[in-house]
Amino acid sequence: MNVSAAITAAIQTVLRDTAREAKAIEPSMLLSTDLGLDSLDLAQTIVLLERSLGVDPFRSADPAAPRHSIRTVSDLIAIYSTALNQQ
Amino acid sequence: MTAATNSTIENLADAPAEDRLAAAVGIVASQFPDRTAIVAQAGSDARRAIDYATLAAAIAKLEAELDATRPLGIIARAKRIESLVVIAAACGRQHVPVAFLAEDARDLIGELRDWVPLDDSLAIPEPANGSYQRSEFEALPAQVVVATSGTSGPPKLVEHSWDSLLAAARLAEQWHGLGWLLVYDATRWAGLQVWLQAVLTAGRVVVPASRDPDMVVKAVCEEQVSVLPTTPTLLRRLIASADRSLFAQMKLDRITLGGEATDAQLLEQSKELFPTAKVTHVYATTELGEVFRVTDGKAGFPADWLSKPLPGGLRLSVRRDGELLVQLSRDTTEVATGDLIEKRGNRYEFTGRRGDVIVVGGAKVYPKRVEELLRTVPGVADARVYGLPSAITGELVAAEIVMAEPLPEPSTPDQVRAAALAVCRERLEPHSVPRVLDFVKKLTVTPAGKIPRK
Repeated sequence: MNVSAAITAAIQTVLRDTAREAKAIEPSMLLSTDLGLDSLDLAQTIVLLERSLGVDPFRSADPAAPRHSIRTVSDLIAIYSTALNQQ
Repeated sequence: MTAATNSTIENLADAPAEDRLAAAVGIVASQFPDRTAIVAQAGSDARRAIDYATLAAAIAKLEAELDATRPLGIIARAKRIESLVVIAAACGRQHVPVAFLAEDARDLIGELRDWVPLDDSLAIPEPANGSYQRSEFEALPAQVVVATSGTSGPPKLVEHSWDSLLAAARLAEQWHGLGWLLVYDATRWAGLQVWLQAVLTAGRVVVPASRDPDMVVKAVCEEQVSVLPTTPTLLRRLIASADRSLFAQMKLDRITLGGEATDAQLLEQSKELFPTAKVTHVYATTELGEVFRVTDGKAGFPADWLSKPLPGGLRLSVRRDGELLVQLSRDTTEVATGDLIEKRGNRYEFTGRRGDVIVVGGAKVYPKRVEELLRTVPGVADARVYGLPSAITGELVAAEIVMAEPLPEPSTPDQVRAAALAVCRERLEPHSVPRVLDFVKKLTVTPAGKIPRK
């Protein structure tokens, strides 16, 4: 599955489940300010992506791994693309 | 039953606890040798019935072997229910300690070093070094080892006296000759309680061929089962997915719920669907045995039980954090049960197990409360709520839902899902609303018939 399509679908599911309006999602959008996602929403997004993409880059076994900065949709796309490539 | 048998069974309480099971089988076998003691694989073509005379003969044979070999202890590895009864009865009367290990506790076998495993052949294997360690008959304590169900941690072995194992058994005449359904694992505390009670009172233990709801209903109808001890989880599954048109043929006198907290909705539903049955719930733990039973058909227990002395010197209290504390009698210590209670009106109701609490971003979620709410949603037959690990919030609330069949018109699965989430958003804190909601054919259930929370 295409990474950015999976991320868009996951975010739309989160918005729908929490009774918020669907939005056109652009890579440059800020997850918090533009999309209104809080930490619970992000946690749900990650679970949904683990199901659709088969990876959870945030559950890294390596304690020395750099902490991901996840501010924008494109940050998410980059993190998941890297994780999938490492598989 | 003749009056003579009744009085003899009632007099069992005068015999040493470890002798009672073998004695009870002997009493029934001598007067009603053909009476059925056990029905295994009930509801299937593989059904087999074992009478009291057969049981008595097998017990006598094993007792002779135990007397000749005097093993340090016996590990019951038999799979058949009748073998387990024979092993328990023979070991009890011969003062040989006996251990019952459920499947998930088999790794603990190393703790019972030099004990002898006994399978369905009921033949004590030849000792490797010529003879078993001989012990003086009187020196050995008669005891029973049972593994905990592992609901709140890995299974562990707990030692009981025969007195504590049989403390809850009721020998009065009203309990004689009844059919008991065994849906529990026969090697666990709850299962042992059911078959011990049945065999001690000249009754029948009926083991359905599977826990499949239709099979359970079939076994109850065909074998004239009158007592159904079960967990709330298994009863909900039965109500949700068995063929309800057969419920009228079930002649249940009693439904005894245990192992988990029971909620008001299930109690109401049971009264409606099984009008002939008296529904009670039992509060027991593997460590303490039966603590109390609630017979008024309401959830939880009366709030004034916390402030007054109860029969047998039992004292209940609640710690500041809501955990129920139990002191069985004056000369025993107070035990923290791990069960959380909360006052609602004039009752204390169970809100969940200490270890069941899901922590989402530092906030506590009681899964039982979310489940109760989900079950009120039209189209939802049953629900399980559990914690899913999350790198962001520690845990996340997740739910499995069994849809009602047929769904109330004009619902679709998507509408049921949306309705469930809407009810949760309206009634729960944001962190308690399930973030993952899956539809399943049947709920995940532990070997002990309870809801797993992780």
